Amino acid sequence: MFEILKNMWRRKTRTLLTVFGIAIGILALVVMGAIAEKLSLLVDGGAEYYKDKVEISAKISTYSSPLKIDKKKEIEKVDGVAYVAAETYSLLSDNITASLGPLANIISIDEKSNDYESFKIRLTSGRAITASDRNKALVGADLVKKLKAKVGENIKIRGKNFEVVGIAEKTFTLPDTQISVSLHDGREIMYNELPELLRNTTKPDDLVYGFIAYPKKGVDPNKLSEKIKKEVKGVDTLGPKQFQDQIASTMQTFNSIIYGICIISLLVGTLSIVNTMTMSISERTKEIGIKKALGAKNRNILLEYLTEAGVIGFFGGAIGIALGAVIVYLVNYYMEQTGDKIFLLTPRLLIGSMIFSLAIGVIAGIYPAYYAVKISIVKSLREE
Amino acid sequence: MADTILKLNNLRKVYIMGNKKVAIKAQEAIHKLHHAYEKAVSKNNTEKISEIEIRLEKAQDLFDKEKYVETYHFLTGKKIKEGKNEKGVVVHALNGVDIDIKKGEMVAIMGPSGSGKSTLLNMLGLLDEPTTGQIFLRGVNVTGISQNKLPEVRSSELGFVFQSFNLIPTLTAIENVMLPLRYGKTPRNERRALAEKSLRLVGLGDRLTHTPNELSGGQRQRVAIARSLVNKPAIIFGDELTGELDIKMTKEIMDLIVRLNQHGQTFIIVTHNPEVAKLCTRTITIVDGKVAK
Repeated sequence: MFEILKNMWRRKTRTLLTVFGIAIGILALVVMGAIAEKLSLLVDGGAEYYKDKVEISAKISTYSSPLKIDKKKEIEKVDGVAYVAAETYSLLSDNITASLGPLANIISIDEKSNDYESFKIRLTSGRAITASDRNKALVGADLVKKLKAKVGENIKIRGKNFEVVGIAEKTFTLPDTQISVSLHDGREIMYNELPELLRNTTKPDDLVYGFIAYPKKGVDPNKLSEKIKKEVKGVDTLGPKQFQDQIASTMQTFNSIIYGICIISLLVGTLSIVNTMTMSISERTKEIGIKKALGAKNRNILLEYLTEAGVIGFFGGAIGIALGAVIVYLVNYYMEQTGDKIFLLTPRLLIGSMIFSLAIGVIAGIYPAYYAVKISIVKSLREE
Repeated sequence: MADTILKLNNLRKVYIMGNKKVAIKAQEAIHKLHHAYEKAVSKNNTEKISEIEIRLEKAQDLFDKEKYVETYHFLTGKKIKEGKNEKGVVVHALNGVDIDIKKGEMVAIMGPSGSGKSTLLNMLGLLDEPTTGQIFLRGVNVTGISQNKLPEVRSSELGFVFQSFNLIPTLTAIENVMLPLRYGKTPRNERRALAEKSLRLVGLGDRLTHTPNELSGGQRQRVAIARSLVNKPAIIFGDELTGELDIKMTKEIMDLIVRLNQHGQTFIIVTHNPEVAKLCTRTITIVDGKVAK
């Protein structure tokens, strides 16, 4: 191994440039992969959340006019529905910035839904929100820094002071960017956001953003979703399968773009290894001849050059991963202040990137190593 | 009886050194013959005894004719031809060379430039394949050995010393000497000690960790000789091994070679230098790809 490192060091600049070529490719893979991992976790969390319920919202065509509470009775009448919980949703800020994850938001859900909800959120401190709470908030894990939230202290939500009563544990999915308030407060917030014209025609207590329908035991939530959509006018439904379908196609496109970029950069890196190794071998033709004359078998030569290419891949991978991790950490640290962490480094991403870079090195080394094996002893010994 | 057993053993040697499949069959056949002979002798079956003796006589004739006995024929090159096809014209660098080297000899191969002496050395050293002809090393037809097995023969039986030293520049003297051991079957923990012993033998015990560019020309050639010696090869081939050395260095190196030869090491040296040839036990002159009469 030491001999291989010495050989690589003979042409420092060329080796370093090649290593950095691979490092850049792996850096791209780590950074892009960290986004994909974050999204994938969000999607998994979403799938877990939606697996046993139907989300009901106003039909897209009537979006400007929110749903009213009276729809609840209509939905409850649908056969197979165990309970319908009203919910509100508002964005935390009107300043919408580009985000790869969900935007920070304020939600409230009918407290009775806890009896039916299987997706439980644990708290790191404080307590959960109750129906009787007024101006109290439970803050999602990713918003703690941004809002400087501490249990017992006030935070500003839509210009109003709210006392933080609890901090949620990190879930790596939607609740991390949510502030939970009581249904009463959620309606107030939604009401205040409505255009004046709509405000005049409705009361806060009538207002909901949507409903969550919990199916009875043994009822398929996908079928229930279809049924509600069919039987209740003016609503759109989202069951577990629809969520998966919508997300799957979006994720597929996103992943294709991400991994496409990575593959192109890695292809360039791979070609640079092939180039470096071929040049290195043509410079060392005589040495290969000497080694063969001294009894080196083809597999010794093959192994030597494949290892050298693998080592380039390894160093490229290690540097790429290290740089990628630094970038991910710095961007996440900065983004954490705004409650929007977009990267997630997972062990499988790091190990996968390392294995991938090693594999690229070895694959790129196959042609040059084969070329080395084919070198004739007599011809190579004649070289000056 | 004793004579017959000797003949049987001679035959066994020959066959074992050849093709493995043939050797196994021959071994079985010889074993049967031996058994039948002993049985015939014990039963005093004169007819059977004479039949077996005739068969053995024939085999012995064949054996003598082929001259495969290790003691006398250490390295044999038979009718070696090397043809290069250049623009459809076959040019023979070697044209039917017959050569026989005995154990412990120090043979100089001389001849004008382009006569084919280096080509012959490459053939005998198994660095290149002859177009036709056979090479026997200790009775084994090495031209018949598969390409995969040749490196093993090179690392265990042959040593090389080249004109331009041919040391690996990034490796130290001891690492260069350890190379043939690395490619052979020497256990890892024994390699360093053997390489060190070899370097001490050529007088470079104090230069173990020097790289080639930290050594003089003569010292480099000593490292190359130490490398060729390290796995106790049957033959060491030297291709113009003093070609890049001045008179003083040439004398130093040749003194070392002669000393090693006196200890039983066989050498085949291609040289232009008559002074070097004079130190050898025999000189073979190659002219136009043939041994000059």
